[in-house]
Amino acid sequence: MRNDPIKYFFIWPAFMIVLAMAIFPLIYSLSISFMNYRLIPPLPPKFNGFDNYAKLLSQPRFWSVIYTTSVIVVISVSLQYVIGFAVATALNAKIRGSSVFRVLLLMPMLIAPVAVALIARMILNPVIGPLDQFLTMFGFPDLPFLADKNWAMGSIIAVEVWQWTPFVILLMLAGLQTLPRDVYEAATLENASKWRQFWDITFPMLLPISVAIIFIRIIESFKIMDTVFVMTGGGPGIATETLTLFAYQEGFKKFNLGYTSALSFLFLIFIIIIGVIFLAIVKLYVEKRS
Amino acid sequence: MKLGRSFATFGLFFWAFLTLFPLYWVIVTAFKAPPAVNGGPTYLPWIDFTPTLQAWRDIASGLRGNFIGTVTHSTLIGVTASLLATLFGSMAAYALVRFPFRVKLGAGLIFFAIAMGGYLVLLNYAGLSRSNSMLIAFSAALIISVLVNRMRLPGPVLGNEDIVFWFVSQRMFPPVVVAFALFLMYSELGKSGLTMIDTFWGMTLVYVAFSLPIVVWLMRDFFAALPIEVEEAALVENVPSWRIFVDIVLPMSTPGLAATFMITLAFVWNEFLFALFLTNSKWQTLPILVAGQNSQRGDEWWAVSAAVMFAIVPMIVMAAILGRLMRSGLMLGAIK
Repeated sequence: MRNDPIKYFFIWPAFMIVLAMAIFPLIYSLSISFMNYRLIPPLPPKFNGFDNYAKLLSQPRFWSVIYTTSVIVVISVSLQYVIGFAVATALNAKIRGSSVFRVLLLMPMLIAPVAVALIARMILNPVIGPLDQFLTMFGFPDLPFLADKNWAMGSIIAVEVWQWTPFVILLMLAGLQTLPRDVYEAATLENASKWRQFWDITFPMLLPISVAIIFIRIIESFKIMDTVFVMTGGGPGIATETLTLFAYQEGFKKFNLGYTSALSFLFLIFIIIIGVIFLAIVKLYVEKRS
Repeated sequence: MKLGRSFATFGLFFWAFLTLFPLYWVIVTAFKAPPAVNGGPTYLPWIDFTPTLQAWRDIASGLRGNFIGTVTHSTLIGVTASLLATLFGSMAAYALVRFPFRVKLGAGLIFFAIAMGGYLVLLNYAGLSRSNSMLIAFSAALIISVLVNRMRLPGPVLGNEDIVFWFVSQRMFPPVVVAFALFLMYSELGKSGLTMIDTFWGMTLVYVAFSLPIVVWLMRDFFAALPIEVEEAALVENVPSWRIFVDIVLPMSTPGLAATFMITLAFVWNEFLFALFLTNSKWQTLPILVAGQNSQRGDEWWAVSAAVMFAIVPMIVMAAILGRLMRSGLMLGAIK
């Protein structure tokens, strides 16, 4: 490491932009979250302490939104991880044409979630959609993919899995390629089955990367909004409403600014709690293994 | 063993089918005539429907919104924001890899206290407008905390690793927290003459700020992996640091810079939430227009598909380019 005052010139532009565009708004909205501040009807903002927070915590809709978001995150991230790991292992097994697969499998995560959601609506459409036709061929009735509460949740989760499994595939594949070959050769010499090799070598060695990937996916999934916004708009009723969508509805339909700021801060606190719990569980698990 | 391999091949083909079918579906639907869509699913062009350009004519005629303008906005904002983010992010990442930094936690807390307290005091007691209070409180907090950082302070000192973590942790925030606050701040600035909502710079700055964490994260690993000997040789020759960065480090990192630029561009191109909060018509971006297709004129799925194609074709081209770059193991460095 060398010292040179030019280092400040290098770091200041990035530092300033993040400070002005991310940190300061955060501070500003924290100060509003303690106020009674509405645009309609326009009242002068008044300090009201933790009232906004208390009101939110006692509202059933808030808890229902937290529950919905958590269900989507937990199920979709688990599926993403399991499927992604499996596909990455298959790709790593030197199957012919796997380099073509790699590019194809990358595509979903680069496509705008709103576009993905529109495509999903088309495919799930009971009249014009191919999935419904395919299922009725096997004697299923017309399924209410987006109209029924549980089916709508399932559809959103399926779309999340479709879009974000490639992220897991990509990183797990990169991890698999760093594993040393000689360990596997030794295991094969000792007649360890492929299954045992997977659980005793591959899985533990990829545990650190897995934790990082799952962590990123959990944090990113909690932000989910565009997909739901286009697919169901939070409906039927509020059955598929997620945290971000709820904040949007409160902020832009009711213009209750203090309330919405408090909501977004509770969201932030919630994400931090989830992150800390996840890391604590991982730590416990790793300590138990070693 | 053989069974396992054919099972793996089958699984791969199945997943590839699941990945590709929706994309295939949107492409064929964009070339269907309305009866071929509404009469139930049709699959193969020229066999069970006759391809037409009806949907594309609808789009070209402006029937479904201003596509040419919106694509231009998305491109301008996306390219500018990605270029700036890659430039500033790389500079910061390089500094964090090669130079030692020390930031005192106390200075950070002072920034927080002055920014929030100063704003409230100026607004409520000095009778200043909201935007003026904000600007003054922000500048004062910045200057004072920088000065304070030079003094002796009790409490922990944050090093380079902590600063990197601080940058990256911006990604953890739910963006709605900041989106909503920025909407309020931008409206206040608008009242005092500085229009930020629905403007090119308003959007570009937000996207630069929210791409910087990814850029710093990716480029830091890239720079750390570069051989330091070349730079040391240049230092012996008394080449100034900024010339080392521009003439030696940046050219050596072209693949990393290209990949980072494209990942950032994809993020900005697809971003929905900030665009939803901060634009309304003049600088609307593509995701907003595409999302609105659904309700605008009812379910004209052939035209909706054509609209979706606008959003995804550039990204599919980029997926092909990125796939090549990824072989250099760039992404793995990022996760470590």
